[in-house]
Order: sequence, then structure tokens, then C-alpha cells
Amino acid sequence: MILDLFRLSFRNIRHRGLRSWLTVIGILIGTAAVVALISIGQGLQRAISAQVERIVGYNTLLITARGMNLGQRIRLDIDAIRAIPGVCSALAVRVETAYVEGPGGKGFLAVLGYDPVMEEFVAEMNLTVAAGRALRGPGEVLLGSRTARVLGAQVGDEVVIEGRKFLVVGTLQAQRAGIFATGGLNLTDLLVISLPELRQFFPGPELVQYAVVRLTDRADMAAVREAIRAHLARVGERNAALTDFEDLTRNIQSVIRGVQAFLAGIAGIALLVGGVGVMNTMYTAVLERTREIGILKAVGAKDSHVLLLFLFESGLMGLAGGALGLLIGFGVAWTATLIVGRLFQAQNAFSPVLSGALVLGALFFSFLVGAVAGIFPAFRAARLPPVDALRYE
Amino acid sequence: MSAALVELHGVEKIYRLGEVEVPALRGVDLRVEAGDFLALIGPSGSGKSTLLHVLGLLDRPTGGRVLWEGQDVTKLNGGRLAELRGRRIGFVFQMFNLVPNLTALENAELPLIFLGVPLGLRRKRAEEVLVRLGLGDRLRHRPNQLSGGQQQRVALARALVTDPALLIADEPTGNLDTATGREILGIFSDLHQQGRAIVLATHDPEAAEVARIRIRLRDGRIVEVRS
Repeated sequence: MILDLFRLSFRNIRHRGLRSWLTVIGILIGTAAVVALISIGQGLQRAISAQVERIVGYNTLLITARGMNLGQRIRLDIDAIRAIPGVCSALAVRVETAYVEGPGGKGFLAVLGYDPVMEEFVAEMNLTVAAGRALRGPGEVLLGSRTARVLGAQVGDEVVIEGRKFLVVGTLQAQRAGIFATGGLNLTDLLVISLPELRQFFPGPELVQYAVVRLTDRADMAAVREAIRAHLARVGERNAALTDFEDLTRNIQSVIRGVQAFLAGIAGIALLVGGVGVMNTMYTAVLERTREIGILKAVGAKDSHVLLLFLFESGLMGLAGGALGLLIGFGVAWTATLIVGRLFQAQNAFSPVLSGALVLGALFFSFLVGAVAGIFPAFRAARLPPVDALRYE
Repeated sequence: MSAALVELHGVEKIYRLGEVEVPALRGVDLRVEAGDFLALIGPSGSGKSTLLHVLGLLDRPTGGRVLWEGQDVTKLNGGRLAELRGRRIGFVFQMFNLVPNLTALENAELPLIFLGVPLGLRRKRAEEVLVRLGLGDRLRHRPNQLSGGQQQRVALARALVTDPALLIADEPTGNLDTATGREILGIFSDLHQQGRAIVLATHDPEAAEVARIRIRLRDGRIVEVRS
């Protein structure tokens, strides 16, 4: 009998044609907006997790100034950190500002000290040579793409750093994936010389932007953290903070989740408005079909049958809107990320994620919105006294 | 004495329109036995329709008792009344009252849906009744594709599909031309011959003639009973 009531409901929806479609569209827009935002958000979360893992790695620690402030430098001895048991390798990134003159320009520019250890962190550092070759010895320099333009220098030219001549042996590839992928360094605006030479220019205690510490597979993260903290205390660095992969993703994810919940909440308002549309349609339907309700009751329909009939009707419209909204929402999310990807030239930057939970949730929730919106009209229909309903013109 | 199909004892029905009380029935006693054919006659506003609604358990009286097959139904809840209506009573209305977006067949099987009869059985039964009423070639038509007489026959099929103990008809010929009306009355006559109890309300003297017992109502009271 439930199935029969369902079939009758479906009939009634089809019978109303355009009006049903308009009602469904109300739900559709809300669902599509929610689905698009959530699937984009989930795609973003996944992409960032992957990105962070690529930069930092699961068994990796970052040492930075508190609050991950890369503008503030910290004091540490990278060799001492390398000696801590459980540390596989460690890299300190030191950038200084130096006066540089080139064939076509000059200025104060950022100079990165190149440490061969960086090769182990190449994926993270994204130090890809676009033209020429990598550094091999002293007196050689790599230029970031914008630096090369500023200095008017090409491979084979000479530039003068703090009064000393360096041979340009290569230029770095322009950054694609943004500052995040290079661990906070803007490689387009850099010069790279060997670390010992940088140290010669800027003697004294070593101050670094940040350090990356990679642990051995079986190292105890907590113990290593403790040892590093002890080292930092010894050298008198109080402003440093340690961040591991989990800290990092947790922070970023919670920010994304917050933004996502906010946006989805706004989109949810659209869904709510759709629900009001369903309610309106159902009230009209009850009014229009008052006589029919009387007939159904005369031929033996109980209040509960009439109630279900109308609830199914509103629920079905909600469900239809939800199903279509799901498809359209995912389509929109997919198109949007594609366009954003093109715009920022980040191929495969990320794609929206349509999880099973999202699919089921969207369908269930849209059905629920429809059904809830139908409750009052359905009760009104069910409670109509049969004689009054039959007399209704 | 065995219980009658329906017994009314001092039934009153008062409608409240704001402050004003409008009495529609003022103490009606009536017995409908199995196989009876009653016609309720009287001017508009005499209480015919109200009496039919009370007999058919569509409306509750404000006073008196209604016994359905010996059972006092005035205290039953809405669900039980609906079930009784579905199982034991068939209604035919002046305006046919078919569901517009259902076919003749679907209209006819409607009462069986609420009794929980499975689709196959239901279809078969509805088709059978429609064919018997001469609508075998109109099964898939919708009400607006049928003539008045055909619509009323679909309504009759819907009333008869559950094989009810009592058929209640409110001005069944009121919206039909004379010839079609006669046709419908012929069907009522046949149904009575087959032993079906019928109560119909009518203005039409011809319709009243078909019935075995004529009951005249005026101002909510039975004023004359003639066999």
C-alpha cells in the first residue's frame, strides 16, 4: 500500500508539471550550491594534505619562528641538530639581503645559501634549473627568473655580490604552484650561491629563516622534538616553534573546514528557501485537491493515508531537487576548479571530491527538507473532515 | 431480532455557523435492512444529504446513536470509520467526484488501495466491475475524456468494487440528461434485484419511483414513509 501511495504521489507531481519543476528547482539550487562548495572544499583539503605531505613529509619537522613567521629569523646550529639521534637529515635555509650589481641593473636582493643537503629536499624546495646548470663550485650563482630580469643578466654573464664577482651558471624555473610549494621562499626573486660563500659575506652567529628536519623511519617524533627544544634552549633561541606534518595539516584543515562550513551554511539558506517553496506548493496543492481528499476519505482512506500521500509528494520533490542538484553542483564544482586551474596555470592543482557521504547526505537532506516542508500542509490535508472536503468547490 | 444494517436512533445534527446554530437533522429514527432500497426525498435543505453522510459514516451526528450492523459507531475513531467506509459502504455523488488525473481503471480500484489489496488482484477486480457496467473499452480514459453517464458509471464501479453492504447515492442523476439518468437508475434497479441495499437521495420523482421505500424529509425530520 505504501508503494501505491508513492505511485499516486508521483502521479500528482507529474500532473502539476511546470509548477512541480519550479518547486524542484528551488531545492535544486540550494543542494547544488551546498554540494559544489563542499566538494570543492574537500578537494582543496585533499590537495593541501598532499601538498603539505610533499613539502614536509610525514616524518618531517619544521623549525620556524613562532607562528610560522618566516620573516623572523631564528638562531640554531644545523650541525648540532644533524647529530641528534633519530634525525636522518636536516636543512637550514638561510637567506640574506645583499647588494647585487648586474649588467643591466642593481639593487638589494635576497640571496639564498645553497647547501648540498638541499638536493635531498629538492621536491620541497622546488629548485629546478630552467636554463644552464646547477651550482658546482665557488664563484657561481643561480638567478631566479625575476632577478635575472632585474639584473639584466643571462647564463654566462657576471654579477657582483657585495663586491665579489660571480658567474651566472643557471636560472631557476618560474614557480608554478605558489609560494607554499617552496616552503616559504619566493624563488623568482632570489639569487642562490653556496652556503659557505654566504657565510663569508655574513659572518657571526648563524640566523636562519627556517630549518627542515627529516627523521629516520623508526625515530620517535616526541624524543626528537624534545632534543631539538633542548638545543634551541642551549643556543638561547626562545622564539622558535616546532611544527610537524600533523600540526600543519590540522591547522590548515581546520581553517578550510571553518570557511567551508560558513559557505555551506550560506548555501544552506538557499536550500531552506527551496523548502519554503515546497511548503508553498504543497499548501496550494492541498487547497486545490480539497475535494479529492474528501473523495479519498469517502472511499476509505484514513487520515494517515492522506498524510503519507502528501508527505511523499513533498519528499519526492525534495529528493528530485537533491538528485539533480547533486549532479549540477558537482558539475559546477568541477568546471570551477578547471577554470581556476587554467587561470593560475596550475595543472592538476586539485579537483573536487564527491564522497559517498556527500552523495548520501545531499540526497537524504534534500528529501528531509522536502518532507519537513510538507509536514504542515500534509497534516492540514489529513485533518480535513470528509464532508467539508467533499463540499469544497 | 437480528441487527439491521444501519439503525439511527434520535439522530440530530446541528451545524454551527459562528454564533448561529443551524439544525440539519432533528431527531431521525431510521432502519436500513440488508436488501432495502430507500429513496430520501424532500426539498433542498430538508436534511437529505446530511442524513446520507451520517448513514455513510462520513459525518458524526451531534446527538443520537448510529448502529452499524449492531455496533455503535458514534464513539469510533476516524481510522476505524474510514475502514468501515472502505469495506462496507459505497458512495456515488451527484458530481461524480472522480479523481481527475487517474484513469477510469485507477479510479475504480482506488478503494482497494486503502484496503491493501495487491495490484494484480485489484486491477482484475476493478476491470471486472467496469466491464460489467459496460466500460470495457474505456478503462484507460481519464474522467475528462468520458461523458457524464460514463463518468457516473465509473463512480458506480468505484462504489461497487469492494462489494459493499450498502450503496449510498446522493442525487446520482442530478447532473445527467433524462436518458442517461434512466440508464443509471436501471443499474440501481439491477443492483437492488441482486440484493444490494441502497439508499439514495433525490429530487427526481422518476428516481424515487425506482426505490421500494420512499422517505420524505422536511426541516430535518422524517414526515412520510411510503412503500
